[in-house]
Amino acid sequence: MTETRLSLQNIGKTFPLNDGSMVEAIRDVSFEVGANEVCVLLGPSGCGKSTILRMVAGLDQPTSGSIALDGRAITGPGRDRGMVFQAYTSFDWLTVRQNVEYGMRLRRIPAAERRERAAHFIELVHLTKFADVYPKMLSGGMKQRVAIARTLANDPEILLMDEPFGALDAETRWHMQELAIAIAEETGKTILMVTHDIEESIFMADRIIFLSRHPGTVAANIVPAFKQGRRWGKKEDVLELDGYAELERDIMRLMRQQAGAEAA
Amino acid sequence: MTTPPSQRRYWLTLRAPIARRRAIALGIACWILFFLVWQAAVSAGLVTELLMPSPVKVIATLINLLSTGDFWIDIGASVLRILVSFLMASVIAVPLGIAMGSFRALEAFFNPFMAAWRYLPAPSFIPVLLMWFGTGEGPKIALLFIGVVFFLVALVMDYTKQVRTEFVETSMTLGGTRGQILWTVIVPAVLPNVVVSMRQMLAVSWTYLVIAEIVASTNGIGAMMMRARRFLHTDEIMAGIVVIGVLGLICDMLFRIAHRLLFPYIDESAR
Repeated sequence: MTETRLSLQNIGKTFPLNDGSMVEAIRDVSFEVGANEVCVLLGPSGCGKSTILRMVAGLDQPTSGSIALDGRAITGPGRDRGMVFQAYTSFDWLTVRQNVEYGMRLRRIPAAERRERAAHFIELVHLTKFADVYPKMLSGGMKQRVAIARTLANDPEILLMDEPFGALDAETRWHMQELAIAIAEETGKTILMVTHDIEESIFMADRIIFLSRHPGTVAANIVPAFKQGRRWGKKEDVLELDGYAELERDIMRLMRQQAGAEAA
Repeated sequence: MTTPPSQRRYWLTLRAPIARRRAIALGIACWILFFLVWQAAVSAGLVTELLMPSPVKVIATLINLLSTGDFWIDIGASVLRILVSFLMASVIAVPLGIAMGSFRALEAFFNPFMAAWRYLPAPSFIPVLLMWFGTGEGPKIALLFIGVVFFLVALVMDYTKQVRTEFVETSMTLGGTRGQILWTVIVPAVLPNVVVSMRQMLAVSWTYLVIAEIVASTNGIGAMMMRARRFLHTDEIMAGIVVIGVLGLICDMLFRIAHRLLFPYIDESAR
């Protein structure tokens, strides 16, 4: 692995329930994400993967352990960790361009520079034709592209994505996955992403952190070696590589074990 | 080529959409029916003309009243009371409601107090308001203010709490500070619903206006109606009711138009 950007050490999280008892959601989770890496958090529902992402974003606090980005401990949300949510978060009172400029406006970046950077990232997500429309005119996939462009235009150190394509239909989803890979290649951004879609994780990930559930722990830290250390722009190219089917099968077994553990 | 047999359509088909023109015609038809029944009842002598003048008589009286300056002064006095009191209530209720909806500590501090006042009927304050403010504009403005402000705070607070958490969190991960999030996310997100709340409360404002003017006033539409009662001018009372209704309708329409002009980005199909 290249130099470490993000590091999670012995993260634990317990929630109090309404009846006063405590439930342990996450136990002793440790992993690292290297520079320019696309790291995917994968696991069955209820494994706490979104909670982990939210703790990295600073939106939730771990009960134990520490999280650091470039060696600095995370104490709260910040623009160095931009997040794309599953729910559509394009501000509906702003046009696409104004949405993408939003973070830069908060930092009082001069209008000309703002406009130029926004135009670049709007182009990157293929929305130039829609730059001046309000989000109500956009499809779900386009809204997610606005959210991605808005986060990237704010130049975060790491891009966090919480099931960003989860609400999209199947076809839009794989277009978006390919677009995300193209963006990762072009920008060199470090990305930490949550999904429960095995196919998506194998296609996108340089590293997969597989989480078990109740409580969530790291069950496997997988580098898909069959991808030969590179990214593939087209989904079908990955599907026909030797080793794809084996990895998908192995991960599926891991998933089933988790389900089985629950049933037992 | 044969055309497929057309599906049988009933005049009342479950949930089937109807043409806009037909919808308007039906709406007008109901009004016409109402006036016809009313006119017929008067013409047939079923009601005493003194207590229930015919619609034709009421319209004639209304036109007559509108041609005199005095009635316009009454209308002006009523509208001014609404404007002043509603402005005062909004200036306090909107910022306070947004603040309470944004910060739990402020909600915890103010809400139990505000909630109690909402359960006190505003007209029950009239005697004490008359003692405090005399018989001028004071008690009327105060009654309208009390009647609106506590409810408007509650509406605005609830709408503010409904601003989606993801919006707030998105701004946080883009580096938004507390103040920036308040001004660039919460305020613009809740603003359309603030206008909706104001529209709803303005209707309530008219109710209290008439109460205030009937109880203690020498001018205003309500006072005019009470004067008319003394001389058994039922037609004038009814003309007053019509004017109040029309004014209320105009206010409502103005708010609707303002809402459409101010917030063109709202997705109506998503409601």
